[in-house]
Amino acid sequence: MTWLRDVLVDLANDSPQVDLAERTIATHDRRRRTAVSLLAAAMVVVTALGVTAAIRLLPSEPQEAASTGDLPARGVGPLSHAYKTFCEPDSGKAPSGCRDGGWRVVTRSGKTYHVPEALPSLAPGRTGLRDSPLAISRDGRKIAYYSAKEGTFQVRDLASGQKTTAPSKVPKDWLGSVSRLMLSDDGRFVAFSKVPEFKDPALLIDMRDRVVRQLPNRWVPIGLSQDGATITLAQYSPRSRLRTISNLRPSSSGGNTTSSVILPGHYFFSPLAPDGKSVAVIENRSTAEKPCRQGNLALMDSFTGEKRKTTVISGLSPDVSQISLRTWLSADEVTALTMSVRCRPASEVPDDEPAVIDPPYRTMTVYAVNVRTGKARKLTTYRAQGFFEIVLPGPPGAM
Amino acid sequence: MDRNDSFREFVAAHQQALMRTAYLLAGDAPQAEDLLQSVLLKVLGRWSRLSRIEHPEAYARKALVNQYISWRRRRVTTEFLTAEPPDRPYSSEDSTVARLVMRQALMRLPPRQRAVIVLRYYEDRTERETAELLNCSLGTVKSQTHYALARLRALAPELAPKLADMEAEEANR
Repeated sequence: MTWLRDVLVDLANDSPQVDLAERTIATHDRRRRTAVSLLAAAMVVVTALGVTAAIRLLPSEPQEAASTGDLPARGVGPLSHAYKTFCEPDSGKAPSGCRDGGWRVVTRSGKTYHVPEALPSLAPGRTGLRDSPLAISRDGRKIAYYSAKEGTFQVRDLASGQKTTAPSKVPKDWLGSVSRLMLSDDGRFVAFSKVPEFKDPALLIDMRDRVVRQLPNRWVPIGLSQDGATITLAQYSPRSRLRTISNLRPSSSGGNTTSSVILPGHYFFSPLAPDGKSVAVIENRSTAEKPCRQGNLALMDSFTGEKRKTTVISGLSPDVSQISLRTWLSADEVTALTMSVRCRPASEVPDDEPAVIDPPYRTMTVYAVNVRTGKARKLTTYRAQGFFEIVLPGPPGAM
Repeated sequence: MDRNDSFREFVAAHQQALMRTAYLLAGDAPQAEDLLQSVLLKVLGRWSRLSRIEHPEAYARKALVNQYISWRRRRVTTEFLTAEPPDRPYSSEDSTVARLVMRQALMRLPPRQRAVIVLRYYEDRTERETAELLNCSLGTVKSQTHYALARLRALAPELAPKLADMEAEEANR
């Protein structure tokens, strides 16, 4: 038995490494569009007045001319957020001047710019196979992105326009299906991670000293000490786990030290709290019939996984169904990005309902939530296609 | 997280494990990729429902095995791998040779027998789980396993002693 399994495992080790998510979505999209076009054509044939209807059903025309300019070489103010645009939303309109798979940054004063240097997440013809990430420093004054021209990560100071390029190239294939980027407060360190985890590593890049360290993939970087020596990572799939790797600086004597904890439930994680050891978490209690069920807000020790304090969140709009925890605003307040979407039980979803390829643009409401009292206060609203398509300043949380 | 994102997550988490099984079933990389791609398309088509169940990968795995069997049935001109075993005496202790011989022998099994071997001995499924995945009875799994091992013995005489030991072990389980 063991012998045959060993031979089969050995054989399976020759299987190719693949990343089929985007290819599957693109193929599905094409098939669906073909079906819609055929339906439209049929309507032209059978109805005398079908022309108008058929035009409505054909793939949408390119959006009108861009009203959003490219990011100027210098002199850009601090950012409030950035969002990724896919231009054929299932319903509603794409933003004016939409660039498929491109990033836009929005300043606190409300100016919006394309980031043409950042590699788009979708190649022309919607055939891209990668997720191109972007990160904003906590003060909103710097961004990190994958430079299409340089073939690696770049950090840009928005006011001065100064760009720093990572010391080594990073193949596009390493970007994966879902990737995450974290930029340290001072813009010196860039941490990159992605799923699926192949043999290629996740990276921690010191842009100043031009040193690249390898990290395990599949872990979302949620915190980095100021000297870049300790990184906190979260994993949310297939199991929720927290991990801290210390002694990462080359000058440290001895090897890395790692602490890792597997959690008993599934959690949504905030970035690491300002105290350097806690994370805010919300338990994901979704089931087939209650797909958006969530637990209360809790503070968790990132080393032991122990919950320190659990609080009921109050003050959110009653229709909020999804929450993503983001940047810490102070020692007690964490940002909660929320969406109010209808969560249908599995029994209400028809088997043959087509999957949404590009989701519609939705309004997301941002709250500051006090982790001690649970009280939420509304800050602002943004529009984006989903939590993965919007970036706020500071490290990403893990959904 | 919207449906597309959750699908991406699902694929990222499970595609490599599914690909390994697909590779053992299909026998080469391009066919394994085609097989898995067609299954993932099926999964995406039903994602609105599947994303809400506890283990959507179980659906994908079942679809993978059954898609493979139905493909092989339709492709009467079965593709065999062309790699020949090396020109030297076989030793069943030599893992490279064992792998080559087993790969060739596996490719010569009928699709259902091959699926039984992969599910039982690679994925370590119980007979009941295997029956469920293949939509067949427990008895069919038992008989298909017996026939498959016997056929592997005939196709790979170098490995026969090992396979015979295994079958004896299997009978005692």
